[in-house]
Amino acid sequence: MTNKLPTGIDHRKILEERISAEIGRRTLLKGIGAGLLAAGGAGMLPDLARAQQNGHIRIAAIKHIDTLDPHFTFFLSAVQVINNIHNGLLKVTYDGETVRFEPDLAKSWDLEDDRTHLFRLHEGVKFHDGTPCDAEAVKFSLMRVKSGTPASPHAWKLALLNEIEIVDPLTVRLHFAEPYAFLPVALTGSTGRAGTIVSPAAVEKYGMDYGRNPVGTGPFKFVSWRDNDSIELEANPDYFEAGMPKLQRASFVLIDEPSTAVAALVSGQIDGMTDCPMQLVAQVKNIPTVTLYGEIEGNYTYIGMNNRSAPFDDVNLRRAVAFAINRDTLLKQAYFGLAQQAYSPISPPMSGYYDPNIGNTNRGQRFDLAKAKEFRAKAANQGEIEVTYIMAERGPVGTRVAQTVAPMLSEIGIKVKLELLEPAAWVQRMKDGNFQMLDFDWVADLDPEETIFPEFKTGGSWNYWGWSNPEFDRLCTEAQTIIDVPTRAALYHKAEDILMDEAPIAMLAHMPVYKVFSKKVQGFNYIPCDLVDLHGVSLA
Amino acid sequence: MLAQSAGRIVQTIVVLLIVSGASFSLLKLAPGDPVMLMLGAEFSQESYDSLQHDLGLDRPVLVQYLTWLGNFVTGDWGTSYVSRTDIFTVVVKEALPVTLTLTACSIVLAVAVGVPLGVLSAVRKDSVWDTGVAVFALTGTAFPSFFLGIVLIWLLAVQLGAFPVMGFVAPWDDFRTGMYHMVLPALTLSTYFIGMIVRVTRASLVEVLDQPYIAAARARGEPGWRVVWVHGVRNIAMPVVTMIGLQLGGILQGAVLTETVFSLPGIGQMLTGAVLGREYTLVQAGVMLTATLFIVVNMIVDLSYPLLDPRLRPR
Repeated sequence: MTNKLPTGIDHRKILEERISAEIGRRTLLKGIGAGLLAAGGAGMLPDLARAQQNGHIRIAAIKHIDTLDPHFTFFLSAVQVINNIHNGLLKVTYDGETVRFEPDLAKSWDLEDDRTHLFRLHEGVKFHDGTPCDAEAVKFSLMRVKSGTPASPHAWKLALLNEIEIVDPLTVRLHFAEPYAFLPVALTGSTGRAGTIVSPAAVEKYGMDYGRNPVGTGPFKFVSWRDNDSIELEANPDYFEAGMPKLQRASFVLIDEPSTAVAALVSGQIDGMTDCPMQLVAQVKNIPTVTLYGEIEGNYTYIGMNNRSAPFDDVNLRRAVAFAINRDTLLKQAYFGLAQQAYSPISPPMSGYYDPNIGNTNRGQRFDLAKAKEFRAKAANQGEIEVTYIMAERGPVGTRVAQTVAPMLSEIGIKVKLELLEPAAWVQRMKDGNFQMLDFDWVADLDPEETIFPEFKTGGSWNYWGWSNPEFDRLCTEAQTIIDVPTRAALYHKAEDILMDEAPIAMLAHMPVYKVFSKKVQGFNYIPCDLVDLHGVSLA
Repeated sequence: MLAQSAGRIVQTIVVLLIVSGASFSLLKLAPGDPVMLMLGAEFSQESYDSLQHDLGLDRPVLVQYLTWLGNFVTGDWGTSYVSRTDIFTVVVKEALPVTLTLTACSIVLAVAVGVPLGVLSAVRKDSVWDTGVAVFALTGTAFPSFFLGIVLIWLLAVQLGAFPVMGFVAPWDDFRTGMYHMVLPALTLSTYFIGMIVRVTRASLVEVLDQPYIAAARARGEPGWRVVWVHGVRNIAMPVVTMIGLQLGGILQGAVLTETVFSLPGIGQMLTGAVLGREYTLVQAGVMLTATLFIVVNMIVDLSYPLLDPRLRPR
């Protein structure tokens, strides 16, 4: 029995078509019994075609890693390591054009109706501690995220999950309160994190110290973590995906100073970097022994204005700011010409939601000085306005945006006073709402929900700007339960249009995120959500 | 003697108390909240409150300080908020040996290079040698260690491939590799120090070489090297050793930058991360350890005076 929503959309059919398109026809077994699809097949079974492991890769990890507990980490830099130790129910894949969400630990993913999902797990998969990865472990992990103590910061991603039913030792059925469009992202082991499966025995054994002793099912086992030194992993010879991993050992060498990492890469002391800051890209491109990987990822940068108080409680002044910033100049000066102009928050890797033609439409924000002056003339305060812009040496661009934007605003009679803060003080001022203007970079899971809703919904915990619009809230809430991509995209575009028009923020750029590997490193699979996927990597 | 030692110990405890109180209050006064920093961008009020409570940061500042102090003196240095590892292990067993190795190598290098250059400068006073050494010493003192480190990396490690770029290998596990990894960091850290030693050595030796006992030694027909290295250098040991003790603070300060550039997992790098992340207990442990180190080294310097100068020995 197929449930239909009042909108008249057949969600099951849509998801069926969407998933089948995503999985690809070769691996698709469609319409057999209740089975919607079964990905993989014999090639996925364990004990077949074991990989021969050799080689030791050393990769510089530049950014801070907080914990290796997937359910508690706040940073993608930690996911870069976690993703090689754990698997999710689903995983993110990329073929160079489209980002997809495919079964990982799940062998198949069936939609019984628009709010009931059935996952069949691969047989014989074991955690690194030898315990079985079965339906109980899946239930344990999902419940740990949803309602564990202490509370996981990713709990909201499973808020709509009503019940986890164990059908048999290798089958779980998830019952949701509503059709849940964000689900594919939430159930991944990488960007969403909520679907990462951890060893129940290890969680029991280590408690809150699990993040220092992670035990997953992934291609690499955790060995050790020495502060300011390195995180060591070794191959999991019993990994369930055939032919993986190819490396015997992997070290994430913790290096704070990126120029030291580049020097170590050139001299052959390390084989790669998890992140290459934009200021080093030109230099790295000239090194003949390395390959640079990177594309525009799921992020956006912007000038945030405090909508709660003068002068930016005035929508016309905010609009004037949004149109007064010359993005071409900014991209050259602050982003070394490597970023892409952002007209709205939804970013290029969000296949189906991002409009590659947005620059040629009249949607979003852009540079138009005449329009900026027009809005400035409508602003309540017609005198010269002095604002304080807080900046810090943090994030991928440091203080470069602030220094480039400040003179641009003088064109519309806004005198910007730059105030340099230490990063911790800056974060506190932003979260306390104690600022007038600042610039910020936001990295989002690859879905429009997490891209705009928690950040801009009324009273949202990440809504530092104090902006509120009931129609925006309504559109985003409705989109949460729509699975059809074009219908859902249309709702988000409407919501974005309201956001861009009322301009609590002025959009700047979508940034590329770079990884660098020595040419010796083969088989690196670039995925545009800041992952360092070592599953198929080998050393020549 | 006993009373003197007791007084010394009391003095040390008072200094450490002042240091701990000052660093704790400075860190608390600085804006920035460790809970917010740990939670990153994605957090709700509930997760904020629960984490703040778990870390004990919802209690009054004085209570936090006294609790920390009580635990610290009883050997419980606490657990790092971020890494959830035992602070005593992280600081004393892991980071301290790295910083001590770096500091010791730098001091040895600075003395080995600085003293002979200072002697040369004093003996050949006002010659081209003297000017050359003065220019070298001044340049070394003026060069920022961060920049020098990067220059040395590019020149000696990347272009010539003579030394490793980064990383620490424990000399007690593998002495040769450990020292090989230590060359560039020690060179970077010691340049400032070499300049200081050269100048103190030169100034003291110039004065000593004018003394009647030097003239007497020469008159006895002792060879020139013996006059300088035995009669001269022995008499400048005190100012040089005093300077090394006092400059230890500068060396530890330089270690912060040097450890960052060469990615050495020492106290400097640990402290930087802890201060930026407002990890109060970790900062406290690092500060107490460096303060103790400073006091102990200067105590050793004081105790070494009678060894260096027989006139100071008790009769």
